[in-house]
Amino acid sequence: MTRVLSFLDPLPIFTAALMGVTLWLIFIWVPTEINQGAVQRILYFHVPVAWGSMLGIFIVSGSSIMYLWKKNEKWDRLAVASAEVGVVFGGLMLLSGMIWARPVWAVWWTGEAKLTTALILFFIYVAYLMFRAYFPPGAQRQRLAAVIGLIGAVNTPIIYFAANLWSQAHPPIIIGPATDAESTLGSDLGIVLMASTLAFTFLFIYLVQVRYKIRRAEDDIVELKRASGARTPVTPETPVITETRGAS
Amino acid sequence: MKPFCKGQVLVIAALLVAVAVITMVSQVASAQSGTVTSGIVVGIDTDGDGRLTRFAVSDSSGTVTTFEVSDTTEYGLENQAGDRWVSTQGEEPVEIVRRLLDHRERFAPITVSSENGVAISVVEREEGKLETSLGYLFAVFAVTWALFFAYVLYMGSKQRVLQHDIARLKGAAGQAK
Repeated sequence: MTRVLSFLDPLPIFTAALMGVTLWLIFIWVPTEINQGAVQRILYFHVPVAWGSMLGIFIVSGSSIMYLWKKNEKWDRLAVASAEVGVVFGGLMLLSGMIWARPVWAVWWTGEAKLTTALILFFIYVAYLMFRAYFPPGAQRQRLAAVIGLIGAVNTPIIYFAANLWSQAHPPIIIGPATDAESTLGSDLGIVLMASTLAFTFLFIYLVQVRYKIRRAEDDIVELKRASGARTPVTPETPVITETRGAS
Repeated sequence: MKPFCKGQVLVIAALLVAVAVITMVSQVASAQSGTVTSGIVVGIDTDGDGRLTRFAVSDSSGTVTTFEVSDTTEYGLENQAGDRWVSTQGEEPVEIVRRLLDHRERFAPITVSSENGVAISVVEREEGKLETSLGYLFAVFAVTWALFFAYVLYMGSKQRVLQHDIARLKGAAGQAK
C-alpha cells in the first residue's frame, strides 16, 4: 500500500507528466532545425543536464556556506545529495556533448575552454564525493568538503561564459543573461528548450529530495547504533547496511 | 516519500522506450514521405525583379526535375569556404538566385525535399545524414534515460535496505528497554 501511495506523490507525478510533454515537444512538435537536422534535438537533453550540473554545484556551495555558518547537519546532507545528483547530471552533460560533437564537429572531444571547464566541474564533483567517502568521518571532513564545494562554485561562471570569452567550436550562450541577440534560438526551439530545462530541473529536485532522505536515514541508523551502544564503530556512509542486511 | 519501486521504474522505462521508438520511426517516415531529390542545379528562372521563381535539378541518372518555390521554402546552403547561409524564399528571394548560381557554377550538389513539385527545403547534399543523425540522437536518449533509471533503482534499493535496518534497530532498542 505504501508503494502505491508513494507512486501518488505529487512531485514525481508532476515531473513524469512534464517529462512526457517535453518528449512530445522534442520528437513531435518542434520543427527539425535546418542546419544540423535531427541530431540538433540533442540540444534539448544536453543543455538541461548541463544546467542541472551547474545548479547542483550552486546548491553544494550554498549548502556548504550554510553548514559552515550554522553547523546544522541538514545543510551538509543537502550538499551531499546535490553533489551526488550533480555528478550524474555532469556525466550526462559530458556524454551527450561528446555524442553530439561527433556528427557536428567530426570529433568526440576538443580541448577548448567550454569543454575543459565542464570536465573540471565533473572532476570537482568526483573529488568532493571521493573526499567524503575516504576522509575519516567527523566535523573536519564536513568543513573541508564544504571548502571543496565552494571551490567548485567558482568554476561555474567560467563554464557559462567560456564560449563567449574564448570563441571556438562550441556555440555561444543561447540562454541566460549573457545571451546576445544574434545567438538566440527561434521561438519554437526556445519554447522546447525552456520546457525541457524545466522538466529536468524538477527531475533534479526530485532526485535530490530522495537522496537527501537516504542520507538522513543513514544518519538515523548511526544515531540508533550509538543509542543502542553497539561496539562496532560505525560511519554514516556504509558499514551498517552490509552489517545488518543478512541479520533478519 | 519513497522512490519508485523496481517494477514501476521498469514500466515507465518501457513506456519511454516505446515512445522514443515510435516517435523516431514516425520522424523517419515523415522525413521520407515527401520527395527528396539530390543533384546539381541545371536551371534557374527568375521574374522581372530578379526573384527566384523555379529551378531545375539533375540527379545522378540525368533526370531533370523542376521545382517551384514558395515564400516558405527554406534554404541552408554553404559557399565554397563552407560558411552556411540559412534563409527562406520570402526573406531573400534575390540572394537565393546568387547562391544557386554559385552552386551551379561549382557543380555543388544539393538536396531538395518537395511536395507536389514545390520545394520545401533546399540544403547541401545530405549524405545519409538522416539515419546517422537519428543514431546519435537515439544514443543520447538511451544513455540519458538508462543512467537516470539505473540511479533511481539504486536509490530505491538503498532506501529499502536502510528502512529495514532502521526498523530492525528500533525493534532491538524496544526489546532492550
